Amino acid sequence: MAVTSIGERVTRKEDHRFITGKGRYTDDINRPGQTFAVFVRSPHAAATIRTINASKALAMPGVLAVLTGDDLATDNVGGLICGWMIHSKDGTPMKAGPHPALAQGKVRYVGDHVAVVIAETLAQAKDAAEAVAVDYEVGKAVVDVASALTKGAPAVHDVAPDNRVFSWHLGDKAATDAAFAKAKHVTSLDIVNNRLIPNPMEPRAAVGDYDSGSDAFTLYTTSQNPHVARLVLSAFIGIAPEHKLRVVAPDVGVGFGS
Amino acid sequence: MTTVSMTVNGQTVTKDIDPRTLLVQFVREHLRLTGTHVGCDTSQCGACVVHLDGVSVKACTTLAVQADGGVVTTIEGIAQGAQLHPMQEAFREHHGLQCGYCTPGMIMSAIDIVNRKGTDLDEATIREELDGNICRCTGYHNIVKAVMAGAQAMAAGGMRQAAE
Repeated sequence: MAVTSIGERVTRKEDHRFITGKGRYTDDINRPGQTFAVFVRSPHAAATIRTINASKALAMPGVLAVLTGDDLATDNVGGLICGWMIHSKDGTPMKAGPHPALAQGKVRYVGDHVAVVIAETLAQAKDAAEAVAVDYEVGKAVVDVASALTKGAPAVHDVAPDNRVFSWHLGDKAATDAAFAKAKHVTSLDIVNNRLIPNPMEPRAAVGDYDSGSDAFTLYTTSQNPHVARLVLSAFIGIAPEHKLRVVAPDVGVGFGS
Repeated sequence: MTTVSMTVNGQTVTKDIDPRTLLVQFVREHLRLTGTHVGCDTSQCGACVVHLDGVSVKACTTLAVQADGGVVTTIEGIAQGAQLHPMQEAFREHHGLQCGYCTPGMIMSAIDIVNRKGTDLDEATIREELDGNICRCTGYHNIVKAVMAGAQAMAAGGMRQAAE
């Protein structure tokens, strides 16, 4: 039936596949011959990686590869960039540490990715991940901002030994100082911005498909901005030139900015 | 490996599986019925709800071997061909979904609520009974409306059991 008036109710086009269970979210997509990845993660909040021994895992059934941060470095695979450069009050650029996909040298939080096991089935990958032996030299961790800024707190990233990434201000300093100088009363507040965890219902998922016939990559992923993903993966992470890299965001169980 | 056999959406299936296989993995990966979703790993979110022998279960916390010999109904099995289940229609009519990820679990839970509590549901009952299903988009307001309307439509159609 044609819609004829402004304000008239219009039914959504996408509902039919969602209410019948025929949506195509990333984990619903299966490629012939696909393999499965399981990450080996750090149980420590701060540690230096001494050695990673994957020999037992590599000998297990169905295991095709065990990759580490060293492999990323060897293949010149870049890390995640920060999209917004900030300069501190003194004009120096912010001190941001690197974010490689797999930890290189150090782990910086419980769950930090240390290695990835690729196997023919998910069960095989999970079993093999448990067999990867990582030798850590456990360090001191600092897990809240206030503690991180105290003298003597362990440096999380070498590039910022005092754990301060930037100290930033915005506005007219002279006018602000003058206003404070002649104010009847001055109050100072410490305000904490809590961590944002948007927590959409769909967990993060990705399917990477490489077609050797055309040397082309296709990534299916839970993304709100596949064009940005392609740009970053191509220009900064170095997967492939953009015309050889397709990023598809299929049905996505929302993101809320995450 | 172990062999399991069950009826899923009216069809008998027999598969050899790793005994650790969850029911949600069984339907999604072995039967390619991807309407049942995994939304958490703590069995809180309800995106994985299916019916096993007439009652709702969280398929992420049920081993496939526990369903051996049983009757399973998933979101794909409640319509009658092109004729949607009244609860599905109600979710569409009352805008009870946005991204759709929680929706199959919501619909399966809603049908189970009607099976257990009848078709004349009030808001408080629906909100209480949906405690095991999480939605991050809608704020639940329209889901509650949808369940109420779907329940009434099920009464009108003389239904209290999911289609097999």
